[in-house]
Amino acid sequence: MFMNANLFEPGKSKSERSFIQSAVKQNTRFDGRKSNEFRDVKLTFGSDWGTVAVSMGDTKVLAQVSCDIGAPSSARANEGTLYLNVDIKGVAFLDEIQSTHDQRFLTLNSLLERTFRSSRCLDLESLCIAVEQHVWCVRVDINVLNHDGNLYDASTIAALAALMHFRRPEVSYAEEKIHTFSERERELMPLLFLHYPVSVTYCLYKSSSNPLVDPTLLEENAADSIIVLSFNSYQELCTLNAGGTAPTNVRTIMKCARSAANRSKALVQFIRKALELDAERRLQPNRVFGLADLLSDNAPLLSFKHLMAENVRQEVAQKKISDEPIPSTETVADEQLPADTKIEEAPMDETTWLSVEESTWIEQQMKNVQQSLAVSAQEAGKTSKSKPNRSKNKASKKPSIRNQDQSDSEEEVTQIL
Amino acid sequence: MNKTNTENDAKVKLREMHCKFNPLSRCDGSVMYSQGATVVIAAVLGPIEVKTQNLSIEGSYLECNYRPKAGLPQVKERIREAAIRDVLELALLSEAYPRAKMSLQVQELEDRGSIDACALNAACLAMLIGGLPLKYSFAAVHCIINEKGDFILDPEESETQHQKASFTFAFDSVDGDLLLVQTKGAFKIAQFNDIECICRQASVEIFDFYRSNIAKYHSKSEDQPLATIESARSELPMET
Repeated sequence: MFMNANLFEPGKSKSERSFIQSAVKQNTRFDGRKSNEFRDVKLTFGSDWGTVAVSMGDTKVLAQVSCDIGAPSSARANEGTLYLNVDIKGVAFLDEIQSTHDQRFLTLNSLLERTFRSSRCLDLESLCIAVEQHVWCVRVDINVLNHDGNLYDASTIAALAALMHFRRPEVSYAEEKIHTFSERERELMPLLFLHYPVSVTYCLYKSSSNPLVDPTLLEENAADSIIVLSFNSYQELCTLNAGGTAPTNVRTIMKCARSAANRSKALVQFIRKALELDAERRLQPNRVFGLADLLSDNAPLLSFKHLMAENVRQEVAQKKISDEPIPSTETVADEQLPADTKIEEAPMDETTWLSVEESTWIEQQMKNVQQSLAVSAQEAGKTSKSKPNRSKNKASKKPSIRNQDQSDSEEEVTQIL
Repeated sequence: MNKTNTENDAKVKLREMHCKFNPLSRCDGSVMYSQGATVVIAAVLGPIEVKTQNLSIEGSYLECNYRPKAGLPQVKERIREAAIRDVLELALLSEAYPRAKMSLQVQELEDRGSIDACALNAACLAMLIGGLPLKYSFAAVHCIINEKGDFILDPEESETQHQKASFTFAFDSVDGDLLLVQTKGAFKIAQFNDIECICRQASVEIFDFYRSNIAKYHSKSEDQPLATIESARSELPMET
């Protein structure tokens, strides 16, 4: 009678698929974005610790972190536990289509598990109270409110922001007894992180070699393959999830990886900034804050474009140049960054991954970059030492931004620069 | 409406209400509703296909789910869910769509007191905005008696710490009948009657809120909506 179950998922029908395929071929997107353009990310923090609502376009996700004291696993007796739970039922009405529901749930859960648990982003040993007896069990609940594509990124951002926002009470352990201090007795403690991973999603189509970033539901369902990459703020790869039927070459994946690494770093910076603003806001007395902000018009806007607009304007400009289709050589500027890190610490040898022309191309680039660096260093050496090579090389504008992000590897890079 | 009670120092004012219609794109109607710092989101879908095991030829099947913010639904959430379902089953005009399913989902976003009442009000607004047939709309009000014996209408979470008794009432908009009574704690019948009166008065305010917001939502494109709202208000039956 009501055969509307299929109406729910845009992009499942043949005509929609061919429409998207031809649109991708012409390098256009349904919502007017460029293929490398992201939707704006908005964060809203709740009045409880560890509550975050994330929205990316129409995709909306709520994450809540909670913790209690439990027993550790016997294999890792001195570590707390991290449990991630995704709930895609509820107001998102995704369970109306039972067949895809299970699949979606599993992929999302495994992505989160690999991004946060397997990459060991939390310092779980700091969550231990008494070895083999009591540890903190941290639980992240992710409630999908609305699905308009790219649940992967929305949920990793939500989970990371919620974990970073969360505070747990302090406990003392003496004579086999746990005493939990209330908020008045002792200040609540944030969780300790080893690194901060976020994911970036790309869609690939048979009709085009150009991947689409941050797909909407229509694009996601019509895609031939979906690549999800999780990078941390040090630009290290945490998860790679590539599947589907579109033939993909290494070059495309590397291209995705490069821009994903930059995007992840910017996202983590953005989350940090949003957290700072939230902390400032909490200090103000007698203010109603929390998720009620979602309804009020005069709440401060914690959106990616808004917060990152001032100091990353240069970087964005740069990214736009670098993300454009690879027809190489003129896009030297941004490629420098990944290439750079490879000179210094070589976390993975890119050359073995790439096809021959590609690797020679990179070598060439590195030479170019080194030359230009040398030149600009000479020029800049006279004027000032603290701001070296500001002149022509675009990538060298980055140090000012990097200093804010307290990552060791990046500081190293700036020093060497 | 600052009216002091005859016997007690009562706080008879609802917290500020806000709502946003259709924040979600995939359902027939959704609403984000807040009362003070308590925020819930409710979404409806229907009439849709029903599983044969739930099929009823007399009326539509109502599915109602309440989801907590953290963890899986426990007994407390199930009770809340049952309360919402009970009220909705009374209010829903289920004969309009036999052999179909109406689905309502309520998601808690933030619980800062009187979440039961908020969830019910959000459910009603979602049904109205989703265009599902109702016999009447309904409004729920929460009230407590604190340790001093004062009545506090629509309390903050901090005010409920040492409550003696708590009450949740739901009223319908046409006859002003009681649809739901939930009480907890010890109280006298006289107190119960007083609180029922207070809540009934407060429900008028909620119905006004429904009416003005839905009118505002539907007349966004029109030029002079204010006059029409005023005239509509006087015409609609309102006996409470």
